[in-house]
Amino acid sequence: MADDTDKKKEKRTQSARNVRPLVESMYLRAHQAREQGQKVAYCMVMSQYDEILAAMDIVPVWTENYGGLCATLGTAQPFLEKAEAEGYSNLICGYARTGIGFDALRAEIGEAPQTPDGGMPMPDMLLGSSIGCDTRFKWYQALGHYMDVPIYCIDVIVPPVNRDLYEIKDFYVKYQAEQLRGLVKFLEKTTGSRLDPDRLMSIIHRAEEARHWWWKAQQLCRAIPAPMSARDHFNIFVPHHFMIGEEATLDFYKELYQELKDRVDSGIGVVDNEQYRLLFAGGLPPWHSMGIFSYFGSLGAVFPAQLAYPPPDPFTIPDNINDPIELMALRSFERFTYRWEQAHRGCGDFWVQHILDLVPDFNIDGLVMHGVMSCRATSMGQIYYQQAVQKYAKLRTLFIGSDIVDIRTYSETQTKIQIDNFLETVETHRSNKVRN
Amino acid sequence: MTISSRGLERAWELYQDRLPYARVMASQGKKVIGYFCCYTPVELMTALDLVPYRIGGRIDEPVKEADAYLETCVCSYVRSAFDLAIRGEYDFLHGLVVPHTCDAMWRILNIWKLHRPLDYTYFIEVPHMVGPSSCQFLEQELKLFKKSLEQLVGRKVTDEALRDAIDTHNRARALLQEIYQYRKADPPLISGTEIARVLAAGRGIPVEEFNELLLQVIHDIRTRESEPCGKKPRVLIYGGEVDDPAIIELIEECGAAVVMDDLCTGSRSFWELVKPQENAMESLAAHYIDDIRCPRTFRPGKPDERFLYLVDFAREFNVQGVILYLYRFCDGHALEAPSLKAYLNREGFPVLHLEEEYTLLTKGQLRTRFQAFIETLS
Repeated sequence: MADDTDKKKEKRTQSARNVRPLVESMYLRAHQAREQGQKVAYCMVMSQYDEILAAMDIVPVWTENYGGLCATLGTAQPFLEKAEAEGYSNLICGYARTGIGFDALRAEIGEAPQTPDGGMPMPDMLLGSSIGCDTRFKWYQALGHYMDVPIYCIDVIVPPVNRDLYEIKDFYVKYQAEQLRGLVKFLEKTTGSRLDPDRLMSIIHRAEEARHWWWKAQQLCRAIPAPMSARDHFNIFVPHHFMIGEEATLDFYKELYQELKDRVDSGIGVVDNEQYRLLFAGGLPPWHSMGIFSYFGSLGAVFPAQLAYPPPDPFTIPDNINDPIELMALRSFERFTYRWEQAHRGCGDFWVQHILDLVPDFNIDGLVMHGVMSCRATSMGQIYYQQAVQKYAKLRTLFIGSDIVDIRTYSETQTKIQIDNFLETVETHRSNKVRN
Repeated sequence: MTISSRGLERAWELYQDRLPYARVMASQGKKVIGYFCCYTPVELMTALDLVPYRIGGRIDEPVKEADAYLETCVCSYVRSAFDLAIRGEYDFLHGLVVPHTCDAMWRILNIWKLHRPLDYTYFIEVPHMVGPSSCQFLEQELKLFKKSLEQLVGRKVTDEALRDAIDTHNRARALLQEIYQYRKADPPLISGTEIARVLAAGRGIPVEEFNELLLQVIHDIRTRESEPCGKKPRVLIYGGEVDDPAIIELIEECGAAVVMDDLCTGSRSFWELVKPQENAMESLAAHYIDDIRCPRTFRPGKPDERFLYLVDFAREFNVQGVILYLYRFCDGHALEAPSLKAYLNREGFPVLHLEEEYTLLTKGQLRTRFQAFIETLS
């Protein structure tokens, strides 16, 4: 990990510092809910069902977050080893191995293992989805070996980029709505409570407002010098991903916006001598060694944007939709296809398009991608992104390799050498451009 | 139809000459369309006189050029197949169809297109969930796929042509099931290696030709004078795209008879027929959602519900042990394996769980593992 000298060079935002207490309160609340008989659900991020859970007073436990938390605090190893001892490949998702190991240990010893924030409370239900990767529905099925609780999974469909959106929109939205309705039916049966559509609609509005403020805050990061560090980027997504729909989340993003605006207005950057602006363009962060981003900072390299957890693209709630489930299904389609038309006309790929959109807007000098050994969904295609981007924008790319959780795959020394060499090539490339 | 007695030999030749044979078809003006996975509705291609060609890898060669384009944390079957593409081995393809089955499939099409552009490509979004809404969604997807193929060939698929294509593919499924019945005898009347070669041959030729081959094979089995192998421990192999007969051959060389499989390249793709309905597209959608038991689809239920069919297979085919032969980086199978293994053990079946690269370059190690397991069954 980067040493303290590296850390001192970066100016962290207060907003990001506020995240850890929020996470502690999130787990505390889940434990209290469990004790008080409120329904607790294991959940997967980005499953499009967050607001439904909030509207039904179901307390979510975001199992991927727990994997990341354990990795950040250096407590994941016993869980990884337990999962592997149970026969799970050391190549499956690091989050899943952490979660499976945790639940396998709980089943074995009869109580939650001693872990950060009291561990994950025993859930009343497991809610998977197909968004993003196959692990998100296979993981919970694997947990059936360690707990006897109902599982419900939904499809979350991302339209293929090469399609005529007008041709597919109706049946894609219809299917998404049917999937969400199936979930609501399951939740109503499991909790014995009815979903209040008005309450759901009101939560959606609040959530969208929070998303809007986050998106606006992100736009401030176009400023030179960049007002927020990579480590802060990888913290401030937390309220959105895990506490959406709450007043505190809306307040958080309003405050984040104000803090960044103050910094931009005052010309305060993350580092004193900003030299390189990089885009984290592929993979998920190495949660076990986040200090590596401070090492970038110590060399004058900042990350004005990142694509691991970017704010959702803008979406305007139409006035003519009264059914909140219809609205959520439409929103899902609109967000996933936000860049499709442009990708059709240009590079043909939405991810590459996203990179190409950000490069001029955020004055990006180079790309950094993290090849995650245990994550096909975010790692497969990184070379392709780099090669496709080169057709439109000549940018240097750094590929680092390790895992989201498993530190055994990581070499700090080697990574630092790679970073040193990479920044030299960025510098050379930039000098050559100026000369030409 | 004249039935020759050379079905098994012909299958062996076709398997070995898959690529040259497909090139000849392409040079004669046939449009050969590559496809991945058993979720591609090949019936739609057959109905338009296109030749579906199942993309394979090459298990006896290391990946040579694909490493420059594809990450190493990806399923090595996909890497091997893509390596062949990069090396020009699939240049006879007119097009490529990829269904969204797993994370690797989700990504491979764009990568392929960037480095090996094709005249025609199509990506089919296949739901990961089962149920009526999933079937209805897939039906819409397949209608658009059909439309896209119609544009490719410049004519419409008639209802009759589609029904004929479904019947012809169902005929292949039924004939394969018939051949599998000959594995139930002890010793089996056709070896696992022979069947694997027949299946491999079928993945590269038009289905009508495959049906003729299957009839020849059935004739061979019925008229052969000696069993292909003696009494041996009987095993079932479970896994993904085990497309090369050499793996089955190796297991049989080690002293077992592979009498049943649950593989993407085996029974998984033909154990159920497309059920006839008034609406042929509805039939196809229901088949591809409900009937194929790849772990890429979420099926509710505890292991004794989800895997009961496998235990039924094992009992029906009088199996003594099960080999879970999984490829590294295949998350669907990897996340299923421990529960499946525990369930099979509870049902009294010893299990060998292997997680391997798509290669035979480590044949010696594999042989040791297979031999040790088979000895325990003897």
